[in-house]
Amino acid sequence: MKAADFSYHEATNIQDAINIKAKDEEAVILAGGQSLLPALNMRLSSPSCLIDISKISGLDDIKIDGDYLFIGALATHSHVMKNELVLKRMPCLIDILKMVAHPAIRNKGTHGGSIAYGDPAAELPALAVATNAEIIVSGQNGDRSIHAKDFYLGLFETAINQDEIVIGIKYPLLKQEQAILFEEVCRRHGDYAMAGLIANVNKIGNKVNDLSLVYFATGDKPDSADKTAKLYLENGYDYSNLKNSLNSEIDFAGDLNSSSEMKLHLATILIKKVLNKLEA
Amino acid sequence: MTANNTSNISFTVNGEKFNNVNVPSRQHLADYLRSQGLTGTHLGCEQGACGACTIEMDGKAVRSCLVLASQANGSDLKTVEGFDDQMMEQVKQSFLKHNAFQCGFCSPGMLMTTKEILLSKKKLTRDEIRSEISGNYCRCTGYQSIVDAIEECINEIN
Ligand SMILES: Cc1cc2nc3c(=O)[nH]c(=O)nc-3n(C[C@H](O)[C@H](O)[C@H](O)COP(=O)(O)OP(=O)(O)OC[C@H]3O[C@@H](n4cnc5c(N)ncnc54)[C@H](O)[C@@H]3O)c2cc1C
Ligand code: FES
Ligand code: FES
Repeated sequence: MKAADFSYHEATNIQDAINIKAKDEEAVILAGGQSLLPALNMRLSSPSCLIDISKISGLDDIKIDGDYLFIGALATHSHVMKNELVLKRMPCLIDILKMVAHPAIRNKGTHGGSIAYGDPAAELPALAVATNAEIIVSGQNGDRSIHAKDFYLGLFETAINQDEIVIGIKYPLLKQEQAILFEEVCRRHGDYAMAGLIANVNKIGNKVNDLSLVYFATGDKPDSADKTAKLYLENGYDYSNLKNSLNSEIDFAGDLNSSSEMKLHLATILIKKVLNKLEA
Repeated sequence: MTANNTSNISFTVNGEKFNNVNVPSRQHLADYLRSQGLTGTHLGCEQGACGACTIEMDGKAVRSCLVLASQANGSDLKTVEGFDDQMMEQVKQSFLKHNAFQCGFCSPGMLMTTKEILLSKKKLTRDEIRSEISGNYCRCTGYQSIVDAIEECINEIN
């Protein structure tokens, strides 16, 4: 199918984009277009105007900012995967991005786009929640920083205001005793997952002494499973206990590829799969 | 629906300059290229899944169904019609030899993805080749012959 009519505006700087967005409620930001354009082609939405921010310079920086690794909103997935700082300070991000779509899509799709879109099946929003990242947005009243866990409100619903755009994401630098582990189940490499898990682990040697679990492709947003993580720390891996706990903690939503029961099962075994990586 | 909104853009396709052309804002790049007779760029799904529309934009493989023509302003594009350098001639020969072209629908995208693999200079294993081409659907070959052809290209060209 083809997109409905809209006007196209190439933003010259952030302020320019913010001004248009503030004035026109039906205008939307276009970054890499790898989620927005499929939706427009399928006529799932028909905005009045696309504000193309992809040519604004300086929005794709990757740098250390105090105790954080900062990734500019316009850094493409391919660019992040090749970055030396990411390789040194947050190598898990490279492994995760390998599972995001395919090379030609990663050449365009942006870090900020994935965070801002808030697709419940996407990897990066769950990573941001699991690592306690900060999402930096800019609007008419200047910049503000939003905790990732307060950013995702529901299905494709975020804490961004109409006049705001995401300008970057700040991931806390990993500590010596910390590991970010990741695993997902999907039908085909590069497809959206049927269920996936990011674990933020605090360890001494191979022993886990603190743990948080954040799922994607399970519900309507990144799903934290704090009770289940606590249960694991107390009793270790017990399939039926953990499954019951996850069932009470997460509102599993089935999709075309997997029912909610299947997602619950996958979410349970993912705990084992992910934590097995500590021994690897 | 008729498109009222247009953009005026200039870019290069396979070395040929397109200056000050008017395109409907809503038109994606693949449709524009095809409207200019460059029908080697195929359209399967128009949602990024099949890879048939993959072309080169400023040196990188992109889905031309997921780029607006307006966004190509100032860009240097290459489509399958422009894959005529020595390396790509060799790639095409290798695809022919291994029977990696059947109906040809996926071929422009497969050739582009192969080009990007070769330019990365990585020595990929067969499994890695499969993962690199996972974004390109082929409904004919069963992929085996395409993997054979790409493997040969990696060994002979890089
Ligand atoms: C076939 C296919 C498979 C895919 N598989 C995966 C996958 O497995 N996992 C995954 O995570 N993703 C996947 N993606 C999506 C891909 O990662 C996108 O790149 C990403 O989700 C969106 O980034 P974008 O820059 O393309 O955003 P766009 O498509 O440009 O925008 C997406 C949305 O976010 C808004 N937006 C974008 N940038 C900003 C900003 N800076 N501030 C405010 N709002 C903004 C836009 O208005 C729009 O609503 C896939 C895409 C395709 C086509
Ligand atoms: S037509 Fe563009 S990916 Fe299928
Ligand atoms: S050769 Fe027919 S789809 Fe690949």
